[in-house]
Amino acid sequence: MRRPLQVALLVLSGLGLLHASLFTDLFLRYVKEGMRPLLIASGAVLLVLGVAEAWASRPDAGTAHAPHDGHGHAPHDGHGNASRHAVHGHDHGSVPRVAWLLLLPALSLLFYAPPALGAYTASREAPRAVDRQSHFDPLPATSPLPMTLTDFTRRVQQDREQAIRGRTVLLTGFVTPEKGRDTWYLTRIILSCCAADAQSVKVRIYGTPAPAADTWVSVTGTWHPGGTLGTTSAQAAMDAREIKKIPRPINGYTDDLPLVPTR
Amino acid sequence: MRETDVLGEEAVTPSAVPAASVAADDASARGLPRFWPILLLGAAVVPGGVIFAAGRWADAPALQAWRTVCLAVTVQALPFLLLGTALSGAINAFVPARVFSRVLPKRPVLAVPVAGVAGVVLPGCECASVPVANSLINRGVTPAAAFAFLLSAPAVNPVVLTATAIAFPGKPAMVLARLLASLATAAVMGWLWLFLGREKWLRPTVRHTGHQPGHNRWTEFRRGFQHDFLHAGGFLVLGAMAAATFNVTVPRTVLDTFSGSPWLSVLFLAALAVLLAVCSEADAFVAASLTGFSPLARLTFMVVGPMVDLKLIALQTGTFGRAFAVRFSTATMVVAVLCSALVGGFLL
Repeated sequence: MRRPLQVALLVLSGLGLLHASLFTDLFLRYVKEGMRPLLIASGAVLLVLGVAEAWASRPDAGTAHAPHDGHGHAPHDGHGNASRHAVHGHDHGSVPRVAWLLLLPALSLLFYAPPALGAYTASREAPRAVDRQSHFDPLPATSPLPMTLTDFTRRVQQDREQAIRGRTVLLTGFVTPEKGRDTWYLTRIILSCCAADAQSVKVRIYGTPAPAADTWVSVTGTWHPGGTLGTTSAQAAMDAREIKKIPRPINGYTDDLPLVPTR
Repeated sequence: MRETDVLGEEAVTPSAVPAASVAADDASARGLPRFWPILLLGAAVVPGGVIFAAGRWADAPALQAWRTVCLAVTVQALPFLLLGTALSGAINAFVPARVFSRVLPKRPVLAVPVAGVAGVVLPGCECASVPVANSLINRGVTPAAAFAFLLSAPAVNPVVLTATAIAFPGKPAMVLARLLASLATAAVMGWLWLFLGREKWLRPTVRHTGHQPGHNRWTEFRRGFQHDFLHAGGFLVLGAMAAATFNVTVPRTVLDTFSGSPWLSVLFLAALAVLLAVCSEADAFVAASLTGFSPLARLTFMVVGPMVDLKLIALQTGTFGRAFAVRFSTATMVVAVLCSALVGGFLL
């Protein structure tokens, strides 16, 4: 691989990372918020590497870098590697062609970033297990009561006091249609590290036709009776009374409390 | 809605498929003697291509999800890969070989466990450890010790152990079992290499002398760093593609069918760890979520994951050569399952 190509790969990868983490919030579609400083630093380092390479290989650098060619500073083009040098030429930059693959993520981040995971992934995964909680505080008196999907599921399946019975709650998430049924799932996808380990929390919604898949909505309603409330036989489900479309949150991979719509 | 989906797919074509096929064409046109990269590329791209083709009439979101997961694995791993390659570049250019011979015991048999425990100091995931281990070998560290370090570093560093403790609250035995099983596997693999390993399985290029007199160390560092990064980065993307393919084609719900039998579930989660290629900093959370499985099976998942997985195999193939990667990964897999079964059997 020629040196200008290496420069291009490094600079594009650096720009891609910076574009996704520093200038936009694209990175939130793939990894967690805490990765931001690391991604910005990585983008900057790659950019600096690319610029340094371009500077070192400028035409008037003359002999400044010449001794470095052919000797190799990296393990892979050491002296015992004559055959590979014969194939790839003597240039130090005998980076294998597999490095071209780095172009895919770089260009993808810059020009055609895939969307965050949504209904497709959620519909293929079993809902994640909700952690056990032994003590439940009394519910606040607000109505409708904003709750997270995890909290709602926990109240329905673990709270022996059945405090959730008859309460009007407000949940937000995106729509995952259920094939062949007239119910659908209000869904959140949660990451532990990156989108490869996505897990979903779902609450089944009764009583309204499903909006289009992946639409973000807030749903007001009450628990849909089924099984014994306060035990795992109870279904995490809701009879919807009102549905509103809401904008997608900036960080969609969380199960945050819904901000109460004031409109 | 259908219309826009279809349009979305068309737009994918130029970015995803041709670039890969161009690389393959390019390689074959030059008559590359080793055709394994093309095979590996094929293994990674063909299933993705099949999803793509299937998506044309059925499930466009499958391709979207594939691209998202693939990019996510790459983006998540890149900073750690950079850290690893920078460190390996620095070791190559700045650290004299005598430092290692002074720190490590003279006898390789003793150097192996010491190097395994030294893995504690490299915070990060498995992508960082491959280039570092390679540069250790280049600086005269016995390969057996370097491999023990390679295996233990991603599994026993404080970041990963803390994550494990958070993922399994109230079960300190799990953290201890992970630490011990990982160290044991690393040491056993190091000794195995010592007694059974052949130098010829390693790509012959691994012998390198580090700093050359008369050269600027900074330039050496920069070029080594850059070379290693481009090299390993390409293999990382390849591994990410393969992992994304399995991630998207095998729904998590399939797993529950295997959770019944105790032995089958251990083997199944070991295989899953290889296929999913979850970063070692996150695999504890994934393991915690596999609630249908026994603690032993979940321990195996966390011991195998950081040592053998698709993106690691791709990285090792790129760094040490295919002959090495195949043998080493297979042996590691077997040893890791046995060690987790032993340690887990006592502790869990």
